[in-house]
Amino acid sequence: MVAARALNSVRAIFYKVPRSAYVIGTLLIAVAFPMLNAVGVVETAWIRVGVLSLLYAMLALGLNIVMGETGLLNLGYIAFFAFGAYTTALLSSPKFDLHWPFIVLLVLSALIAMAAGFFVGLPTLRLRGDYLAIVTLAFGEIVRLTIINLPSVTNGPNGIPSINAPRPLGMKLTDTLLATNLPESLKNWLVIDKPVEYYYLVLACVAITALLLTNLKNSRIGRAWNALREDELAAVSAGITASRAKLLSVVLSAGIAGFAGCLFAYYSNVISPESFVFMQSVIVVCMVVLGGMGSIPGVILGAIVLQALPQIIRESAGAARSEFEVYRMLIFGIIVVVMVIFRPEGLLPDKEWRREAHEADPREIESTRQSLFTLEEGEKDLEV
Amino acid sequence: MSLDHIVSVTIGGLTVGMIYALIALGYTMVYGVLKFINFAHGEIFTVGGYVAAFTLFSLGANDSMPPLMLLGALLLALLAAIAVPVVLGTLVERIAYRPLRGRSRIIPLLSAIGVSIVLQQLIILVFGPTPITMPTFGIASTAVDVLGVRIRVLALVIIALSALLMMALTYLVRSTRIGKAMRATSQDMEAAEMMGIETDKTIAFTFVVGSALAGVGGLMVVLYYGSLKFDAGFLYGLKAFTAAVLGGIGNIPGAVVGAIVLGMTETYGVSVDLGFLAWFVVAGLVLGLYIQLVRAPQKRLSHIAPDRRTPEYERSIVGVYRFAPYSATKTLLAERTDALLSVSATHAMRLTLGNVFLAAVAAVFFVNGSVRIDTRWQPVITFVVLMVILMFRPSGILGDSITEKV
Repeated sequence: MVAARALNSVRAIFYKVPRSAYVIGTLLIAVAFPMLNAVGVVETAWIRVGVLSLLYAMLALGLNIVMGETGLLNLGYIAFFAFGAYTTALLSSPKFDLHWPFIVLLVLSALIAMAAGFFVGLPTLRLRGDYLAIVTLAFGEIVRLTIINLPSVTNGPNGIPSINAPRPLGMKLTDTLLATNLPESLKNWLVIDKPVEYYYLVLACVAITALLLTNLKNSRIGRAWNALREDELAAVSAGITASRAKLLSVVLSAGIAGFAGCLFAYYSNVISPESFVFMQSVIVVCMVVLGGMGSIPGVILGAIVLQALPQIIRESAGAARSEFEVYRMLIFGIIVVVMVIFRPEGLLPDKEWRREAHEADPREIESTRQSLFTLEEGEKDLEV
Repeated sequence: MSLDHIVSVTIGGLTVGMIYALIALGYTMVYGVLKFINFAHGEIFTVGGYVAAFTLFSLGANDSMPPLMLLGALLLALLAAIAVPVVLGTLVERIAYRPLRGRSRIIPLLSAIGVSIVLQQLIILVFGPTPITMPTFGIASTAVDVLGVRIRVLALVIIALSALLMMALTYLVRSTRIGKAMRATSQDMEAAEMMGIETDKTIAFTFVVGSALAGVGGLMVVLYYGSLKFDAGFLYGLKAFTAAVLGGIGNIPGAVVGAIVLGMTETYGVSVDLGFLAWFVVAGLVLGLYIQLVRAPQKRLSHIAPDRRTPEYERSIVGVYRFAPYSATKTLLAERTDALLSVSATHAMRLTLGNVFLAAVAAVFFVNGSVRIDTRWQPVITFVVLMVILMFRPSGILGDSITEKV
């Protein structure tokens, strides 16, 4: 009882801080993190952990659209990641001797993954939730097995090595700039090949994605998705075209996965089908469940916790990588079961979930009052 | 494609199918009662196999033992392969599924995925990451002549034992008190509870039966293939689930039928020339054309209201099916207000697309007549079957209710 009251007062303090302060604070920490490396406090290995955490955060953000917002379970999500990664790897490596520019591939990877999402989503989205999960699982496995079984294109299980380092300004411009007498520290950023540079690149991408998705979530489309998740029949009766909204969410999430896949291929330099096994999909699902389905800060937190925390534990326990992998997956499994049973709304719940859990957020009540007030003034349109 | 080839492939397909059926029954029964995919069932099966192999190992079973003792060791392994999965299945149900009953569909599925990961890692922790292998037995590889084909006795034993178990299960569900309780629970849990059925116990019993069958399946796989990997449960589980859906989920005979069809598809798919398979596709094409040109128009015609029944109208509906691609779009554009015509046109369009697809597949197969599908594609066949069946006929071959058919 005392503990609960103490918790409540702590919570009240946290609610007093405006939400934007948290966002800015997190961003500042994220930006400052590699500087610790420059000072010499953390090793470069942790920057790599940071890059991977951010890549997973991107994946979790994408999966959150289907799983959190629209309420469809996608167990083959990693396949879209694979589409993005292989598009980049094939078009920017010695395999076919193609070296397409970075920006083009970033867009193309997303587009190809989106096309894949469209063609899978089109016939499958009318299925019920659990059947859809199995169909997507089957799709993910088909993609992976096809990659393994087509060695002439994808090198099979060996994967595609030596993917080029990205040059954000394009080949020619980079070369001319490298030839000029720019300061060396600036030249380093023209070709992104160090963990720190990747870190900032991926961080920027995650920040932009999160921003766009937050806006989307509060838009008409986002509300349509949430309505479909809560009650499809009611949503359809209210005039939402269920198939179109669902397809949009699947295509969009596939696009984000393709985008992340492109960055992943560049970052890891070599990709192989092992990175796209079913377990990877499950890990992303774990991240979304842990952070809170439908909550954008939540899933980012979930991704970082699940990607970085095992590394920290491993480092402090001094265990070998292969040995630790078993415990890591064991913990993931336990986390999913425990979260689903005891705290289905996740660590940082979405406001709709929080409302269900009767945990009132004073800021939210205030903002609701405000918006009601502005409605009376006639400033906002009533269109929902 | 000689006769002995056909016989051996058929027996092989039947054996694999029966193993799938044993696992699929667990999926289908749980789904029938709880409307929930027990994703951890595949891992229960793996545990059964591991425990069986481990028992045989620690008993030191090998060919030099007297036959009676060998039989005893095998029976002990069978008992272990039933007991451990049963305990595990009940525990999982109690801990991870019961608190979630009544929540939306994907929540228990998530929990089941979590359980499946946990079980898989526990197997690695207990038995180590290397695949467990069986001590070699003479029994496991002895063969007899059937119609001039050498067939492993073990395959016949597996088929017979599985058939026996399935008959026992059918008896259990159809004619015993607990079976009646199961059927009642699956039909309407609340009403069953009001009638004095202890639904919690009934559901736990369903898990017990399913896990026991999966454990037996595990033993059979270990005996038949000689080894088992810790993550085998994933693929076997998915194949069994495919089988369950194929036959109609929640439907016990359906699971068996689906499993046998799947086993046959897999073995025939990779061991037969494409040219031979093409004849099956051609048969499908003939059936498709029959449906498009004869069956579907007849059915549509019966929907015409008596006051609109004119020969021209009937002809236009039949015509939509005859010359679908051209005429359908034309009619759709011309008579958008006519619901029956536009529905028929879309239907005809779909049928035509399906037939064109089948014709293309047949053509490809005929051109590559003597080529065989690589064994590597075997899992892909399963997944494609799974996707197709879920997308186009989620109710399966025999319909999807435990109460209707049993």
